[in-house]
Amino acid sequence: MSEDLKKSPMDRRKFFRTCGAILAGGSVLGTVGAVASKLKVSGADVFWQIDPFTCTQCGRCETDCILPVSAVKCFHANKVCGYCDLCGGYYRPSVKDLNTAAENLMCPTGAITRKFVEEPYFEYTIDEDLCNGCGKCVKGCTSFGNGSLFLQVQQDLCLKCNECNIAKVCPADAIKRVSQDEAYMLKDHA
Amino acid sequence: MIVARFPKPDFSSGYEYPDIVHPAPYEQLWNWIDIFLLVALMGVVAWAAHKKHSRAAIVGVSLFSLAYFGFYRSGCVCSVGSIQNVVLALTDSGYQLPLYVLLLFVLPIIFTMIFGRVFCAGVCPLGALQEIVNVRNFRMSRAVTSALSVIPWIYLAFTILYAATRSQFLICKFDPFIGIFRLGGDVGMIVFGVLLLLLSIFVGRPFCRFLCPYGALLSIFGSLSWKKVEVTRKECINCTLCHMACPVDAIRPPYANKVKEDRLAGVKRIVMYAVLLPVVTALCALLIGSGSDALSRAHKDVYLYDLIQQVEANPEMDIPLEVETFNGLGRNVEDLRTEVEAIQHDYKVYSYLIGALIGLVLSVKLIKLSTKRTRKTYEIDDANCLACGKCFNYCPQEIKKK
Repeated sequence: MSEDLKKSPMDRRKFFRTCGAILAGGSVLGTVGAVASKLKVSGADVFWQIDPFTCTQCGRCETDCILPVSAVKCFHANKVCGYCDLCGGYYRPSVKDLNTAAENLMCPTGAITRKFVEEPYFEYTIDEDLCNGCGKCVKGCTSFGNGSLFLQVQQDLCLKCNECNIAKVCPADAIKRVSQDEAYMLKDHA
Repeated sequence: MIVARFPKPDFSSGYEYPDIVHPAPYEQLWNWIDIFLLVALMGVVAWAAHKKHSRAAIVGVSLFSLAYFGFYRSGCVCSVGSIQNVVLALTDSGYQLPLYVLLLFVLPIIFTMIFGRVFCAGVCPLGALQEIVNVRNFRMSRAVTSALSVIPWIYLAFTILYAATRSQFLICKFDPFIGIFRLGGDVGMIVFGVLLLLLSIFVGRPFCRFLCPYGALLSIFGSLSWKKVEVTRKECINCTLCHMACPVDAIRPPYANKVKEDRLAGVKRIVMYAVLLPVVTALCALLIGSGSDALSRAHKDVYLYDLIQQVEANPEMDIPLEVETFNGLGRNVEDLRTEVEAIQHDYKVYSYLIGALIGLVLSVKLIKLSTKRTRKTYEIDDANCLACGKCFNYCPQEIKKK
């Protein structure tokens, strides 16, 4: 009898512990269930992308991406482009001579090249490897041209941070989470 | 929406528009490989910790997870950060939680409920990194560790506040090791990460124990776990070696409770706790709740509204880019104000809630500290045990078996 009494507190504790664990586990499962019913879950992944129509080309895409060279690149919608000789995205404003000298060109990294098509048209091409996403050409093109140059997150470079560092500082709130079919918001489709 | 200042060129040379293909995002298959590996690695740790009693297998998992989840997959999205996605999905109707992120959040919890904190053991790359560099562990006094162990809960509370109000992802902002995994990033956080790593040479897993909000969550499930990690299945000979080896101070020494408390004093104590708990909870709720307006400045729109007010009050100052953009886009200040008011209302509600959470945790921790239990042998504290298996190799009973 005395043996039983000695042992009993431990058993009682064990009993309470089990009851407590079942109770707590049950309530946790209940909460999880209640919460889960409210959750909107989708099988698809999300990506970060810039809406080119709200982007103001502030230049933060170049500086605030966590990658050494930003994943934001300039894209070119050829079908929107006017193929002008005097291009607001290619030349700096108020250039004297229209030649390819570096002091005349808008792009700081020389990522924009052009090819003569026929009088008076030029085809412009962006070298994505050189582009740093500063958006200077985009600003020039949007202000003085058709707006065929625009900034986009290049999806194979983007690390898909849980929270995009550029989105946090974007003054126009142009960077949003988008679904796979909106992974690019291209101007030539609009 | 597109302003065509210049007409579409009329080509006569038969020029055709180039066909530009933009690179597609990484295959979603990777997400599912992540989930598969998460489950597989947690399974290996569970087997190593419960069945095989082998530290080597757990170190192997740590190394693999460090290389794969850490350096190769660059750390995003992780289970620790997924708390924020879940909270955001609950409060923001515009955000759909990807299924694999939900699994990243739920699977470690399920495994913890069954096998203890096997996720923390080595599957989490943040834990694995600290585990690998840990050589010695200097033991801090129980008072210090108890006080520090409140920090993860406060961190968790503020994480919930900022995620629920769609302000920012605090865990991602203050992730100390992501810069190391990506070999680049915010300088301040890399310095902090390196300092933490230097510290973890001498103190076991400082991030896991004193910062990690997901660890705080898992500690609850750890203490409820179905299968408990045991140092040895044989009889404990009270040699103190496992206690000395444990990097996270989760093995409690034997203790003879000699305090004889009479019944009335015990009842009084319980009544005091029952009063203390709601009082502390309410106080903390009031404290955090009263600061909600100051906290709400972390939200972009509230910050913008603040800047606009500043510019209005002081027209000579340089107009910040945010305000310039706001004006340039032709947005309405009145609309912004109604938005800001709604945000501040949200902040008020959530500040009280998280204040209550912090108060509850504080009082429960205090009550736990004041309860004394007799232990005859060395016992594992299931809430804090990370199933790292370090104790297995030190237990003489285990060594004898081999």
